[in-house]
Amino acid sequence: MQLSKYKLFLILIVASAISMASSCKKTEPVEDPVTTGSLNMSFDFYFDNNPIIFDSMMYVNAAGNEYMVYEVRYFISKVTIYKAGVATVLNGWANEHLIHSKIPTTLNWPIVDKIEAGNYDSISFTLGFTDADNIPYMFVNPPETEMVWPEYLGGGYHYLKIEGKWKAPNDYLRGSAFHLGRGQIYDAGGIITGFIDNSFRVSLPNSSFSITATNSTNVTLRMHIEQWFENPTVYDHNVYGGDIMSNQESMGIVRDNGWNVFELIK
Amino acid sequence: MRIKQFIQYLAMLFILTTLVASSCKKTEPDPVVPPATPYTIDVPYGFPTNYNIPTDNPMTVEGIKLGRYLYYDERLSGKADEGMPQTCGSCHLQQFSFENGIGKGIGTTGAQTHHTMLPHINLLWNPGNYGWNGSVASIEDDVHGVVTDPTEFASTPEKVVAAIQKVSIYPPMFEAAFGTPEITMDRIAKAIAQFVRTLISSDSRFDKNLRGELILTDSERRGLILFTTEAGGDCFHCHGAPGNPLMTTNLFYNNAKDSVFDITHDRYSVTGSTTDIGAYKATTLRNIEYTGPYMHDGRFQTLDEVLEFYNQGLVYSVYAHPLMHKLVPPFGIGAELNPSQLNDLKAFLLALSDTTFINNKELSSPF
Repeated sequence: MQLSKYKLFLILIVASAISMASSCKKTEPVEDPVTTGSLNMSFDFYFDNNPIIFDSMMYVNAAGNEYMVYEVRYFISKVTIYKAGVATVLNGWANEHLIHSKIPTTLNWPIVDKIEAGNYDSISFTLGFTDADNIPYMFVNPPETEMVWPEYLGGGYHYLKIEGKWKAPNDYLRGSAFHLGRGQIYDAGGIITGFIDNSFRVSLPNSSFSITATNSTNVTLRMHIEQWFENPTVYDHNVYGGDIMSNQESMGIVRDNGWNVFELIK
Repeated sequence: MRIKQFIQYLAMLFILTTLVASSCKKTEPDPVVPPATPYTIDVPYGFPTNYNIPTDNPMTVEGIKLGRYLYYDERLSGKADEGMPQTCGSCHLQQFSFENGIGKGIGTTGAQTHHTMLPHINLLWNPGNYGWNGSVASIEDDVHGVVTDPTEFASTPEKVVAAIQKVSIYPPMFEAAFGTPEITMDRIAKAIAQFVRTLISSDSRFDKNLRGELILTDSERRGLILFTTEAGGDCFHCHGAPGNPLMTTNLFYNNAKDSVFDITHDRYSVTGSTTDIGAYKATTLRNIEYTGPYMHDGRFQTLDEVLEFYNQGLVYSVYAHPLMHKLVPPFGIGAELNPSQLNDLKAFLLALSDTTFINNKELSSPF
């Protein structure tokens, strides 16, 4: 009889211990089904519809300049996707990305934003930064810091660098620093009186794509390098020379020619 | 009786549980040597927050202290008893921003290094391409290389270790830094590398201006504009600027010095890419005042000679880097600045001198 009491006592202890242990278990909420996916952008470079071969004097631009490309670097920012007239800016973590042809890790950009599944009509981005986003010294680490644009010329960062060489009329090779960033307004005495935002929006044609829940959709942003030099204005290296950062006329051509340089490959 | 039995069961259960619980505890031996103290990098204003510290060589207070002793201990060559003492500090003198001030290094045998010395400065931010052609992957590797290089120590790791082992101060210092008193070439290299990573120069007039502590002179300001504009000297694309204050990209360029190249020691010798023929590192311009003679071969004795070269001494070749766009073939030419502009550009370069750094006693010889 007494033992039964102890048995009962033991059973009570064990039961309460089990009850306490089970009370520590977190109650898992029932999760809603995932309705979002993500977008992964890759980047490549083409010339006349073929992958570009860097460091090779094998190309001729619309002005007839024979030229070669050493490297390409450019920033894109404010990537925006459109669905049924609604624009969504993908800026969940950072709204800019540097693409550097010599740094493979920059040629792929997994965008962190969770995107609602569905069919999207198009995608656009800013080449470089608008003045509002082009904040001096916002980067502290290379390779982004190598894109710094001098304060005297407007500050912030280069939007684009294409470096290479072209064959001058005397058959000698000349260096080309085809750089785009903030432009300057000069007075008659050559004094800078203001700056020009040379960034521009690129709305990609035929850029519809789909996002499916829980999956990452891969797209490739392709730069057609020859387009920088031909449409709407033919860019002649012999006219504009090897450096253009202080020459708004040249940078204006680069900006205007940039509208159809890019293509989205799905 | 049954109650007694029950109590016995309970007691046994308690003992068993205690035993099981105590068996889960790891038996930690009492530490004989306290672990080395982690060292925290104080990143200067505007400097990159990403830096290069190998995961197998974290910086510690004790490791840095040991590295400093070794850096300045001429027994490090392992040949002091042969009348050929030498150490890192023999060719990397603080007064010359840890460069040698004479150009090429001279090793224990009197042989000259192939290239001029490079200053040990802000190497914490080097991405892993040390030396004029970037062939050395780490400071640790560099220390190993110096020991056996016939133009430097021309020694052996065994000799070096034996020499250091003989010095009574070192075993306790190795123990403090690495946990045991064992002296190895690997540990020597690690300790020296830790010390070298503390050689941070960030207190020039340029830095003070960035921090808002002083205003540059008119001449320095004009020089900065010339430094950062293509119409001026266009130095910044390779050598940095406010916003890239290491004053180097740590990249390699053929800067139009020659038309014929030694392809056995240039960047091409490392990468095999023809675009790297005749290319060498764009060195930091910090403390450039103290680090002549200049260029990889020390061809220019003074800063004025360097400026004159970039102003009108460029040499045409198909290998010149595209950023040398002031090269106007078939002639060389250059920036074509007038004397007043050259003076301004030089004034800015001198604003990169950091006297705090070259006089910092914490970085000088402990002997």
